[in-house]
Amino acid sequence: MNTRKKKSKISTKIIYIFLSLLAVVYLLPLLWVIYVSLKDDKTLFVSPWALPERLMFENYTFAWTAGRLGVATLNSALVCGITLILCLLIGSMAAFAIGRMRWKLSGAMMTYFLTGMMIPVHCILIPVFTRFSKMHLTNSQVGLILPYLTLSLPITIFIMTGFFQSLPNELFESACIDGCSIYRSFTHIALPLSKTGLFVTGLMTFVANWNELLLAMVFISDDAKKTLPVSLSKFVGPYNTNYSQMFAAIVIAIIPTIIVYCMFSNQIVEGLTAGAVKG
Amino acid sequence: MKKKVLSVLLSTAMVASMLVGCGGGSDAPAAPAADNGGSQDTASSGDAAAPAASEGVEEITWMFWDDLNATEDLISIGYKDTVERFNKDYEGKYHVNVVTTNLEEYYPKLNALVAAGETPDCFIVSPGPNLDVYVDPGVAADLTDYLKADGWLDTFNGGEGAFSQQTYDGKIYAVPLNIAAACVFYNTEMFEAAGITTMPTDWQGMLDACDKLQAAGYTPLTISAGTAWCLSMLAGYLCDSEGVDLAAIDSGNASWLDANVVSATNKLVEISKYFQQTAAGDTNDVATANFYNEEAAMLIQGSWAIAQINGANPDFESKCGVFAFPGTDGRVIAKSDSLAMSAKTAHPDAVIAFMKYFTDDTAQKYTAEVGGKIPVTTVEYDASKAPAQLEYVMDVFGNAKSTFGFYNESMATTEAGAFFDDTMVSIYLGTPVEDGLASLEDFYKNNVWNK
Amino acid sequence: MDKLLRDKKAIVIFVAPAFLLFTFVLFIPICQSVYYSFCEYNALTAPKFIGFENYRQLFTIDRTMKIALKNSLFFLVFSVVTQLIAGLILAALLTNIKRGRDFFKNVYYLPCVLSSAALGLLWMFVFTPKLGINQILAQFGIEGPLWLMDTKGFIILPMWVIASVSLWQYVGQSMMLYMAQISGISGTLYEASYIDGCTKTQAFRYITLPLIRPMVATAMSLNAIGSLKFFDLIFNMTEGGPNHMTDVLATHLYQQGFKYFKYGYASAIGTILLIMCLIVTFIINKFVKVDNYEM
Repeated sequence: MNTRKKKSKISTKIIYIFLSLLAVVYLLPLLWVIYVSLKDDKTLFVSPWALPERLMFENYTFAWTAGRLGVATLNSALVCGITLILCLLIGSMAAFAIGRMRWKLSGAMMTYFLTGMMIPVHCILIPVFTRFSKMHLTNSQVGLILPYLTLSLPITIFIMTGFFQSLPNELFESACIDGCSIYRSFTHIALPLSKTGLFVTGLMTFVANWNELLLAMVFISDDAKKTLPVSLSKFVGPYNTNYSQMFAAIVIAIIPTIIVYCMFSNQIVEGLTAGAVKG
Repeated sequence: MKKKVLSVLLSTAMVASMLVGCGGGSDAPAAPAADNGGSQDTASSGDAAAPAASEGVEEITWMFWDDLNATEDLISIGYKDTVERFNKDYEGKYHVNVVTTNLEEYYPKLNALVAAGETPDCFIVSPGPNLDVYVDPGVAADLTDYLKADGWLDTFNGGEGAFSQQTYDGKIYAVPLNIAAACVFYNTEMFEAAGITTMPTDWQGMLDACDKLQAAGYTPLTISAGTAWCLSMLAGYLCDSEGVDLAAIDSGNASWLDANVVSATNKLVEISKYFQQTAAGDTNDVATANFYNEEAAMLIQGSWAIAQINGANPDFESKCGVFAFPGTDGRVIAKSDSLAMSAKTAHPDAVIAFMKYFTDDTAQKYTAEVGGKIPVTTVEYDASKAPAQLEYVMDVFGNAKSTFGFYNESMATTEAGAFFDDTMVSIYLGTPVEDGLASLEDFYKNNVWNK
Repeated sequence: MDKLLRDKKAIVIFVAPAFLLFTFVLFIPICQSVYYSFCEYNALTAPKFIGFENYRQLFTIDRTMKIALKNSLFFLVFSVVTQLIAGLILAALLTNIKRGRDFFKNVYYLPCVLSSAALGLLWMFVFTPKLGINQILAQFGIEGPLWLMDTKGFIILPMWVIASVSLWQYVGQSMMLYMAQISGISGTLYEASYIDGCTKTQAFRYITLPLIRPMVATAMSLNAIGSLKFFDLIFNMTEGGPNHMTDVLATHLYQQGFKYFKYGYASAIGTILLIMCLIVTFIINKFVKVDNYEM
């Protein structure tokens, strides 16, 4: 028994060493990018690992203002925020009809929405782009919100349907007896009772759209409307690149997410996992 | 109560979005056959004009390939000044709005706007197949009459000759703003230390110089294969010096498998042993940095690099010499930024006035004295203010018997140009010369010669 | 009650917005895209029907397509296999430790929520010869390889590098999925097995593995579809270069469609991608998915 305990102690140590090394692999690149972002372009290639002579915080000011990362952050927040709200509303409305109401085609409708989860965005890129160009919706935030919203709907509907179905019938019956309309029972009973579901789907939608690159890159050409992932590449000029400012831009792009993540990491990790499990 | 208000707000937002959504779809089923962007051009520029007219200011847009606010490129900074001067001088009459992208995305974005019927009133473009794209379907306007109307044309160095790359059937479709020439920059101290007294003038001389530099312990050449066009510029010089005729290849009268192409490519492989070790992964900037940080003796680059070199290491200016790429029989690669006007613009006068600001004395003086590029007009500039290397580049350019464009910008299509760049990189990385050229030949068979 | 739940008008109002959006932004464009794939269609001209010509070119002439297909399949296999193994190992280790579990879990999961565009740029710099890893190696006198430019071998080094970065970024998700499932397994099962003299490894082999099989299917299909859609990391790390050696279907589609404006040709690539996604989902559902065990 004693040897076994000893053995397990050693193995626990090994496990901890391994896990810690792995954590270094995860954190080191992030620390390195912050470190390089405080150097200046000239010393960057001469001595990439030497300490900066002076901390270049102006790299950040530059990336934020001239590089328009500030505007881009705002744009991302706007686009993702509106998408999030609309997606939760429209998605849970459809989910309510599918999950709780009685009609013949509800199963078929669910399948229709679910096929959307398998479709890669690349396939709709060209038709949506040509159509939106003609309607002058490219280069506008509406043109970005619409596809984001549509692509976020299937998972929202799927998860919310599950939540609504799990609500006890009696609640709705008693509400019905009290003369509650179907709309009211949706807004006042179903929605408040599915807060977890709304949180999970909202989180998934927001994270996915916040990081989306391809659609944003193709659809938006105006600097004032670009979202964060797209704005990162703007430091590549025709004949030269502002490296240290690009590093500052990378930091600006990931820092808000990291801060929010540090504050709510457990909820976020569990929420996203719950969503993925359902999906 | 609060919740109720919120839900009302949400549903209004939703209804609004639905309307947009429905609008988006209402004519979708009829889509495939009707996708013809052209007819909307006039409508859209009309739309753009409406709000501007009501304020009495004619608004135009200019599309450019570098971010004017974030850039470190001196030429781009000069353009920014030009835009500000124009907007200030014409306040209340004309106003230009600048749409910028990075270079990588520039043509895709411009094409997207053209396809959507939102061609910018004025846009920058490189002469060659990139300009063809806009001249052939009539997207770019004929500027000949504007240039000849009030002596504008005569301010250019060489008159109509300055427009040879922008002229189609005797009509001028774009206005050059400056000229950059691709040269060999070298570190005079290293050359001295290696005992090289005369600059190489032919291929053997170039190889000998490299040998001497290597023997003296220096890396002879720094170049970037990570940024494909840098390597391809060298390949272009080698092809041209072997007498490769791009026009003949484009028309199918010559082949990529011809002896002269093979020999040029072999030369590329031959000289590649003098490159810095990290050439394959180094980007354009890193390769240039190797040169001004004195880690390599030679750099083959366009003269736009002068500003970057002197900006990053001011002490280096006095050590930096320039000579023409050897063995090309006096031919030099030259590149000019050019401006084109949308054929459908509602404000041609504003656009022309705007273009003239790029070629006036202030702008052209800046081009030479600060930007380090060769001015296109006959402007007098203060040579002592200009970077030392510009004078050498001017010499190279002045002694040139003729010029030719970037190889990748002189081919049948932009895709062919990119394919050429990629092929040269892959040959440098180890693909056998015959295989690489065979794939280029295949590409031309399938994409160029059968059209 | 029943009448209320069969209210046709309410149903229409509830479903219509989602249905319309879905139809007009997703369903009709897919049909259009399939139609375009049979057309010669450049941005500035109207589509012209040319039958299977685009597909013929894709499969007979286009060298980049061959590379892209090979690379996409490599990604598919690599990410499904490595995420399964690494995710399971991490999940097993983390469920077996007490102190610091949340910390490690949150650290490993972090890259999942970060922008792959930004992370792609970051890793690109890490593998740039003059900046990152190779400079550290040089301190020890080792000459590092050209991580993102080497072109030797059937699966070239840059592909391994990018695939490893994607494993680094997304393994946290698989790990969490497995952990969620493992924590659902009743503790009494393990206790019983220990009484019977099982080691921890044996318990993992005979209890944990069989019981998390449904989750394996879920995680695998997430990984598989995700790896086929793979775009951001490659785009920002190599843009498909050198000489298209690291192109995958998604980057090839982007270049053909939005760099050279061959809409028809790009749509054909998109259609192939779609078909591959459908097949992969079908296979995984058919052969891996099993009913949930009672727990």
